[in-house]
Amino acid sequence: MRAVPDTMPRTVQPIPADPPGFPLLELRGISKSFPGVKALDDVSFPIWPGEVHMLLGENGAGKSSLMKVLCGAYQADEGEFFHNGEKVEINSPADARRFGIAVIFQEFSLVPYLDVAQNIFLGREFSSKIPGLLDRGRLYREAQAVLDLIGLDVSPYTKVHTLGVAQQQMVEIGKALSQNARILVMDEPTASLSDRETERLFEVMRQLQAKGVAIIYISHRMAEVFSMGDRITVLRDGKMVGRAMPDTSTPDELVRMMVGRNIDMTYPRHFTTDPGEVVLEVKGLSAKNGIEDINLTIRAGEIVGLCGLVGSGRTEVARAIFGADEVTAGEIRLFGKQQNGGPDAASRAGVGLIPESRKTEGLALIRTVGDNLAVAGLPKLFPNNLFSPRTARRTAEEIIKRLRIATPSPNQNVGVLSGGNQQKVVIGKWLAAGTRLFIFDEPTRGIDVGAKSEIFALIDQLVSEGAAVLMISSEQAEIVHVCDRAYVMRSKRIVGELSRSDLSEENIVRMGMHDE
Amino acid sequence: MSDQALSPSAPARVKMPSVPGVVMALALLFILFAALSPGFLTTGNLSNILVQSVILLLLALPMTLIIMTEGLDLSMGAVLTLASLVLALTILSTGSLLLAFAAAVGVGLAFGLLNGWLVSMLSIPPFVATLGTMGAAQGLALLVSDGQSVVGIPRYVRQIYSGDVIGIPNPILIGIGFYALFHVLLYHTRFGTYICALGGNRDALTLAGVKWKRLLISVYMLGGAMAGVAALLMTARMNAGHPTAAIGMEFDAIAAVALGGTSFEKGNGWVLGTLLGVLTVGVLRNGLNLMAVPSSVQVTCIGVLVIFALLLDGMRSKS
Repeated sequence: MRAVPDTMPRTVQPIPADPPGFPLLELRGISKSFPGVKALDDVSFPIWPGEVHMLLGENGAGKSSLMKVLCGAYQADEGEFFHNGEKVEINSPADARRFGIAVIFQEFSLVPYLDVAQNIFLGREFSSKIPGLLDRGRLYREAQAVLDLIGLDVSPYTKVHTLGVAQQQMVEIGKALSQNARILVMDEPTASLSDRETERLFEVMRQLQAKGVAIIYISHRMAEVFSMGDRITVLRDGKMVGRAMPDTSTPDELVRMMVGRNIDMTYPRHFTTDPGEVVLEVKGLSAKNGIEDINLTIRAGEIVGLCGLVGSGRTEVARAIFGADEVTAGEIRLFGKQQNGGPDAASRAGVGLIPESRKTEGLALIRTVGDNLAVAGLPKLFPNNLFSPRTARRTAEEIIKRLRIATPSPNQNVGVLSGGNQQKVVIGKWLAAGTRLFIFDEPTRGIDVGAKSEIFALIDQLVSEGAAVLMISSEQAEIVHVCDRAYVMRSKRIVGELSRSDLSEENIVRMGMHDE
Repeated sequence: MSDQALSPSAPARVKMPSVPGVVMALALLFILFAALSPGFLTTGNLSNILVQSVILLLLALPMTLIIMTEGLDLSMGAVLTLASLVLALTILSTGSLLLAFAAAVGVGLAFGLLNGWLVSMLSIPPFVATLGTMGAAQGLALLVSDGQSVVGIPRYVRQIYSGDVIGIPNPILIGIGFYALFHVLLYHTRFGTYICALGGNRDALTLAGVKWKRLLISVYMLGGAMAGVAALLMTARMNAGHPTAAIGMEFDAIAAVALGGTSFEKGNGWVLGTLLGVLTVGVLRNGLNLMAVPSSVQVTCIGVLVIFALLLDGMRSKS
């Protein structure tokens, strides 16, 4: 058993005694780095037969990397694996399979137009006595046996694309079990399941447990962590920061372990106590993309945060406000005027979206800085629809100077700029368009620390000049340090609002995770 | 939220029959031509339709598999033309039909290997890769033939196309044989299962430890080989090799596959649909021929028909 790093406050109970014998699998000192990030840093824990091992952590804590290392998709830079006490190597998916490790990703590895049986035994088909042909009789018999085992009541002849998400998940589990999986890794398996389906999944999990299958279960739902978990491991910034048992721990303790990342960063922000007119008012907004009953207000001079877990509906809210996704109910008022057009209407009304995937949605990478800066402002810069290269160049140069974009000239290809400078170009294109409401979706994604401060200084400058900002971020620290207020989302709804004085990482996590 | 996914979708306004678009198109055309053209509904003519559809079927069957991998082969018509010329020239110079047939299939395999290698190993989009090889094959066809028809092929070669076994024309037997072969290939072999997965989810294949790159190449090689087989029938039918004989036939093949309901995405396809698609194109061409409609207009009709059938299928899958 590993000691928790000394720098961590020990909020956990003493680590529980491990059962006798060897763990099914033990990770010791696993590290994995990517350029610029240490995704996993000296992670160790044992997995015992028949246990449900809950893995907790914020977005980016290293859970996905750990899963990929476990299934052989990534190779650990350092560390050792012990399988039943014997040192083993996991360097490929084949290795992982040999040790009985099966991972069920949120994006399923199913082939939509093959049937259930073909999917379960993909790559492991049964040959018939006639050379080259398949034994289809055996395929469907064996598949039926797997379906009986997991209690999935569909025909093995059903094409997978006709199944619901829950049933597809069950097929994945069946596929894993048919490979004699002894360790099943599941990534938020209940995220898209109804209560009934969740209960069914838990039932299957309990049956598997009784047969000695170990389950590593990544979850964001406290209720299931405590109802289903036998052991809990918490990750933060790629490090294992704590182990706990559900009966001797509390949700608050776990939340405290999850938050509090130390990032050396300054957040330049001049807070104002008296915001201006209402810029955006959203009432009872529902949209085709799934969000429901969204209510929010943003005033001039404010930075308002929109937080919650990945998948909670933050980006969908931004897209609906921007007119990119179809609205089904409710209203959006910009500067008091009802808004119900597409992105073109929204941008003419003064809204600018700085999307999360800068390279695909924010920029035309193969075009120049000047072209990218002009693109959103075309109607404003050239009201008579005639393009003038001189005006475009003058505007571009002005913005380059104002935002201090590091580029030799407006004719530079935007693709070769650094992440931070690319982001400035995206912001700049909205400045040229005369935008007054900026929606930032993960504004610092893929930007190095120095440039982050610069981006925040820029955002601060925008609001001090009277613009309004809606900011989506998975980095709670950013929300806490930069925003005047924040809305917290969960399951496609806004579940609470935090004022400046209540704004803390713990509150955000608690609100975003709290179970219905 | 999830309950929504479980409940049936809202009732469709238009009630669509659950018959594939291709069946409806085929039936409608059949009735239409039977009514409009007195010569259409005769045993001779119907047999004729079947015989004339076989060459197209030989291209459309492998095209179905290629499209199921989210691929495309635009070079098929040109490769068929080139293979036909090579076959004719070889038989003239060696006198051996077997050797000539082997040469034709060899040409097809070589182009298939090239197509597959470009698409699989170099990740060139299939449209671009096979557009390039189409040009190459067309150019080679003009080169080897010097732009002239290759004539003087022994009369017995003609028998392959015009002969029969107990009254059933040879081409029909060949068509039935290859249809059965592709049916077995797609539904009763690993190869077929993996073809569906190649278009549906390549990651699933990788995770299952299947080396799919070589597999993808072999799908294109199968297409080339079938162009070689079709070249034998084509040469026998014309008793000559023409440098423009099958140029553009890939259009008919792709149209037949699309008509049959094979999707260009996600590995959703079936060979029976392709057979029906081929027959639909055959009935359309035959009926229009009987009504003396020029072949340029026929191509337009096929285009319109494809769009119409796909619209029907789209409406059906939505409802």
